[in-house]
Amino acid sequence: MRSKRIRPYALTGGRTKPRYDLLVETLVSVPHYDPSLSDSLMPESQLLYERARTRVSIAELSVVMTIPLGVVRVLVSDLAAQGAIYIHPTAAAYQHDRNVLERILDGLKRLPV
Amino acid sequence: MRKILIVGAGQSGLQLALTLREHGYDVTVMSARTPDEIRKGRVMSTQCMFHDALQHERDHDLNLWERECVRVDGLGVSIAGPDSSRVLDWFGKLDNYAQSVDQRVKMAGWLELFERKGGQLIIHGVTTADLDKLAGMYDLVVVAAGKGELVELFDRNPERSPYTSPQRALSLVYVHGLERRPEHPEYAAVRFNIIPGVGELFMIPGYTLSGNCDILFFEGIPGGPLDCWGDRPGPQEHLDRILGFMKQYLPWEYERARNVELTDDKATLAGGYTPVVRHPVGELPSGHTVLGMADVVVANDPITGQGSNNASKCAAVFLDAILERGDAPYDREWKNATFERYWDYAQHVTQWTNAMLQPPPPHVMEILGEAGANPQVARRFANGFSDPSDYQNWFLDPAKAAEYLASVRS
Ligand SMILES: Cc1cc2nc3c(=O)[nH]c(=O)nc-3n(C[C@H](O)[C@H](O)[C@H](O)COP(=O)(O)OP(=O)(O)OC[C@H]3O[C@@H](n4cnc5c(N)ncnc54)[C@H](O)[C@@H]3O)c2cc1C
Repeated sequence: MRSKRIRPYALTGGRTKPRYDLLVETLVSVPHYDPSLSDSLMPESQLLYERARTRVSIAELSVVMTIPLGVVRVLVSDLAAQGAIYIHPTAAAYQHDRNVLERILDGLKRLPV
Repeated sequence: MRKILIVGAGQSGLQLALTLREHGYDVTVMSARTPDEIRKGRVMSTQCMFHDALQHERDHDLNLWERECVRVDGLGVSIAGPDSSRVLDWFGKLDNYAQSVDQRVKMAGWLELFERKGGQLIIHGVTTADLDKLAGMYDLVVVAAGKGELVELFDRNPERSPYTSPQRALSLVYVHGLERRPEHPEYAAVRFNIIPGVGELFMIPGYTLSGNCDILFFEGIPGGPLDCWGDRPGPQEHLDRILGFMKQYLPWEYERARNVELTDDKATLAGGYTPVVRHPVGELPSGHTVLGMADVVVANDPITGQGSNNASKCAAVFLDAILERGDAPYDREWKNATFERYWDYAQHVTQWTNAMLQPPPPHVMEILGEAGANPQVARRFANGFSDPSDYQNWFLDPAKAAEYLASVRS
C-alpha cells in the first residue's frame, strides 16, 4: 500500500471542475510551479508534474514516462482538478507553431499502440 | 475518503458511481466515449426495465426521464401457427409499470450528472496495461465494461455456463409511428411474439433522443431465416427487412407497423453473443485484483430482457457491500463474497433465461396456454419479469408447474 498522504483537493472538499478532453495531442503545462506540492505527490504524478514544467503533449508524457496512456490521462486529470496543471485548449490552436506540431507528431509516432 | 475506480459507463458502472458519490466516495469513472459521442452513437440495447430495477434508480433520484417516458403496463404473449395465424394471444397486467429509456439518452445524461456531482470522468478506452498500473492507486477497481474486451481478465465459469456459442441472432430497430394493438389500445405493452422454430419478436415501447418510440427486436434461431444480418444492411434496408419478416410471420403485428419510420439513422443494431458466467475476480500482472460487475460477470441472452435489470440490481448489491465494508480492505475474499451475494439473485435469472432459449417443454406450453384462459396465470408470468426468482417456484419445474396449475384451476 502507498502512504496515504492527504492531497490538496481532499481539503477543498472534492472536485467540481468540468471534464477535460485529453486527446493524445492535447498540451499541458504547469502554470505556477510549486516545489512543496511536487514533494507531496505520488511518484508517477510527481514525475509528470516535473516534466510538465515545460509544455508537453499527453502522447509525449506517455512515451517519456513509459506508462500507458490511460494512466497519464488519470494522473493529468487529477492534477488539473487541483489546478496544478493547465490543459491547453487544443492542438488546433497551435497550427502555426511548427515546433510544437512536430513534437506532438514525434510523440504520437513513438506511442506503443 | 476511499478512492474507487470504475471502468465502463453503462447501467451498472454509472449507477454505482453515482450512488457512491452520494455517500462521499472519491469516484473516478473511465468511459470510452464522451456524453456527446454516446448521444450521436448507435443504439445499444432495448433496455426495458421493470419495477424492482427502476426502484433502485428512484431511490437515488436517478430516474431523470421517468415522467417523459411512456409507461409499459403489461406483457402480451402471442404464438404464431405454421400458417402465420395466431394460435395463442393473451395479455398480463404488470402490478407496476416498466420503462425503457434509450441508453444513449440515459448514459450520456448520467455521465453529465456524475460530473456535476463532483465525480472525476476520464475519457479513455481502458486497456489491461492501464489497469495494471492504475489498480495500485485505488482502494478498489470495478470493471463494468459490459461485453468489451476487458472481460478477458475474468475466466469463464464452465459450471455456470451451459452454452459455448450465441443462441440467437439479434436485430432491432427504433421506430416512430407504430400503432397500439387494437385489442388493447389503452395499454402500452411489451409484446412477446413466438414463431416456433424461427425465433421471437419483442415490441417494446421506449423513450429515445426524439421522444417516445417503439423498438422492434427480433431474436432469430441461429441458422434460421432471421439469422441474416451478416451483410450489415443500411438503416432503411434494415427496417424494411424487419418489416418483411413481420409481414411474413406475424401479420397481426405488421398491420400496426405499416407507417413506421426510423427514429434516426443510428437506430438499428444487429449481432449476437454467447451467454456466459465468469469468475468475478480478475488478476493483473502486478498482482492487484479487480472486481467484475454486471455483464462482465453474468451475461445472459436478451430473450428475457434482464441485462439492464440485472445491472441495476448488481450495482445496488455492490453499493451495499462497499458501504458495509467501511475502512476494511476490499480484498479478494470480499470481492468473491460480494459477487456471490449478487449471484444469489442472478442465478435465477440465468437459469430462467437459459431455459427460455430452448424449445418450450410441455409444462411451459401448458402454462402459456392456461394464461390465455386465466388472467391470474398471465399476471404471475408478466410480473416475474420484475423479480424472476419467482419462476423457480412454479415455471421452471414440471412438478411445481402441475401443482400450481391444479391450484388455480380448482
Ligand atoms: C439487443 C439487446 C437487447 C437488450 N434488451 C434488454 C432489455 O430489454 N432489458 C434489459 O434489462 N436488458 C437488455 N439488454 C441487456 C443490457 O443492455 C445489458 O445487459 C446492460 O446494458 C449491461 O449493463 P453493464 O453496465 O454491464 O454494461 P453496458 O451497459 O454494456 O456498459 C458497458 C460500458 O463500458 C464501456 N466500455 C467497454 N469497454 C471499455 C473499455 N475498455 N474502456 C472504457 N469503457 C469501456 C462501453 O462503452 C459501455 O459504455 C439487451 C442487450 C442487447 C444486446
